[in-house]
Amino acid sequence: MGMLDYLDIYQRALQGPIMSERDFDVKVFIPNLKQIVNCYQIRYDEDDLVPSDDQAADRLFEAGVDFLAQVGVYCQDTNRVIQFTREEILTALKEAPGRCLAGEGKDTGVFSMRRPDDRKLPWFHVGSGIVASSDEIATNLIEAYGAIASADSISISAFDNIRGIPVMAGSPVELDAALHSIQIGREARMRVGRPGLPIMNVISTAASAVTTIAASAPQFGLRPSDGWLCGTIAEMKVDFGVMNKVAYLLNWGGNIGAETSPILGGYCGGPEGTAVVSTAYIIMGLLVHRGNYQLTFPVHFRYGCSTSKDVLWAVSTSCQATSRNVPMPVIWLGYVAGGPNTKMFFYESAAYLLCAVTSGAPSVQTPHPAKAVKVDGITPIEAKFGVEMGAAAAKLDRDQASEIVAKLVELYVPRLETAPTGSIYQQCFDVITGKPSDEYLLLYDEVVEELAGMDIPFE
Amino acid sequence: MDKQEILKRLTNAIIDGDEEQAVTSAKDAVNLKMDPMEAMDNGLSKGMDIVGERFGKGEAFLPELLMAAQAFNAAMEILNPEIEAQKKEISKLGTVLIGTVKGDVHSIGKNIVATVLETSGYEVVDIGVDNPTLGIIQQAEKAKVDVIALSSLMTTTMPSQREVIETLKEMNLREKYKVIVGGGPVSQAWANEIGADGYGKTAIDAVEILKGLIG
Repeated sequence: MGMLDYLDIYQRALQGPIMSERDFDVKVFIPNLKQIVNCYQIRYDEDDLVPSDDQAADRLFEAGVDFLAQVGVYCQDTNRVIQFTREEILTALKEAPGRCLAGEGKDTGVFSMRRPDDRKLPWFHVGSGIVASSDEIATNLIEAYGAIASADSISISAFDNIRGIPVMAGSPVELDAALHSIQIGREARMRVGRPGLPIMNVISTAASAVTTIAASAPQFGLRPSDGWLCGTIAEMKVDFGVMNKVAYLLNWGGNIGAETSPILGGYCGGPEGTAVVSTAYIIMGLLVHRGNYQLTFPVHFRYGCSTSKDVLWAVSTSCQATSRNVPMPVIWLGYVAGGPNTKMFFYESAAYLLCAVTSGAPSVQTPHPAKAVKVDGITPIEAKFGVEMGAAAAKLDRDQASEIVAKLVELYVPRLETAPTGSIYQQCFDVITGKPSDEYLLLYDEVVEELAGMDIPFE
Repeated sequence: MDKQEILKRLTNAIIDGDEEQAVTSAKDAVNLKMDPMEAMDNGLSKGMDIVGERFGKGEAFLPELLMAAQAFNAAMEILNPEIEAQKKEISKLGTVLIGTVKGDVHSIGKNIVATVLETSGYEVVDIGVDNPTLGIIQQAEKAKVDVIALSSLMTTTMPSQREVIETLKEMNLREKYKVIVGGGPVSQAWANEIGADGYGKTAIDAVEILKGLIG
């Protein structure tokens, strides 16, 4: 029997066991996760944030498979659980292509797998959907992303208003804002001579299926070869909104990006549970979202970032488990507490990228400053660092990375709660010329020199 | 088994999130003719305080909190008839309606706050996610709450928090409710801008804010 198709999944959403969402959380998700963590002896080690134990990675993969088979995925619209057998899960893994073709013309690329300690460069996904307050800033950001030669794909900014009207989720203005951001993205890519560079975060800030469908009209400039995100509701839940997007994109032939964000401290509990759920999510992305690729960003419920020690460990271990066993090209994204123009941003980003890249991340996205919630709180300098740091990390193995990460966390973890949110674009870049301030460049050089002194092999 | 032993077992059942043990110990308390309020205050609530403290320090997470709350509620089902028979009432600090605003389906942050409030002595009416503005107000009216707590995890749903406050004003209901806001992109500055009565960065903050607002 072949892999389950989309209608099989839909049918299970209609026929699976019925229960309230709270019962799913409390009586199914939490006890099964606890049991799986104990059964597979998943143990957090705060002294080794990038473990090099392949057997432990494979055990975590098995735990993820069992967890998905035991718990399933909750459909909020039918209050039923979509269930899979272990055999169905393994069939899906066997048949997954492990690659995603993205982009157009000379900007086409093959986004494929890496293994832990792989020297191959990851697919560099550059930029962020962080809200921009003006067309000028959004354009400057995208042009700068496109100018990074090793950028394989980009994310484009969202807007917080159209003609002064605040963008509200699910409203007509959200749709207008999404279409406007696409047009800005299209023009900026053309201007830097990379018109086919894939945009992989469509439509990240517009949650409704209707916006996805509207944005796929040819006059707006998006293509099936861009990346179309379809989110998951934490934890292990979907609704018809997501399933509608998937149904449309499958018919239309677009690259589907399964989007997940396991929350450490939420239903996942601590780092061990988060690692299991993070692993299960990558498999779920293949089965439920029919993903061609995945975007995942584990975060800490209290700090809102991915750079606390326990989240870094969960990232390293689940990245190793899936890069060794799940043929799904995954973009690993780190949310960083420190903002632009702060040293803390660079320390945190370096730690995150060392964990993900040496653990075999097929792709890394340039980390998001100030937890991605500050309007105009991003500049091209953070993107440039993300790519240079990612390339440097690909020259290291997990043991080396673990030693460096141990030093880095000492520099920033005590300040996670009160992290500086840094500058906004206008404070450290010239909006007209798109050039950085001397002060920020100086800080950048200083930090890179400091990190190079910690044996990070920058070019 | 003596009273002290039962109290200790009730406390430990909550700390361990052990529903079965909580129910058994509550039954033991009833059989021993213990004061049910004492069993609640010095047994169950003591356990909740310990779990809450661990949660605040980052040593426990949502599952521990939920399992503890579940064990607490199960034990209370045994103790409640005894409390009612003594014509006593459990004092509640106030009633809070909590929900995620229109267009936002994120629930975990809201659920954490709801659980912490519940275990801190507030009556909580959880209306779930993606709530239209008028629906929030109508449910607040129906449940006769003291506080409306609005959660928003996306920058594009934050305007709905403002909309709730503005609509309350339009309906001449603003003075009737305290409105508190929270969520990833929400800040004290935003709360000030939209005229909210309070902003909490964490669930523990929410408890402290409510103490200041409604005691």
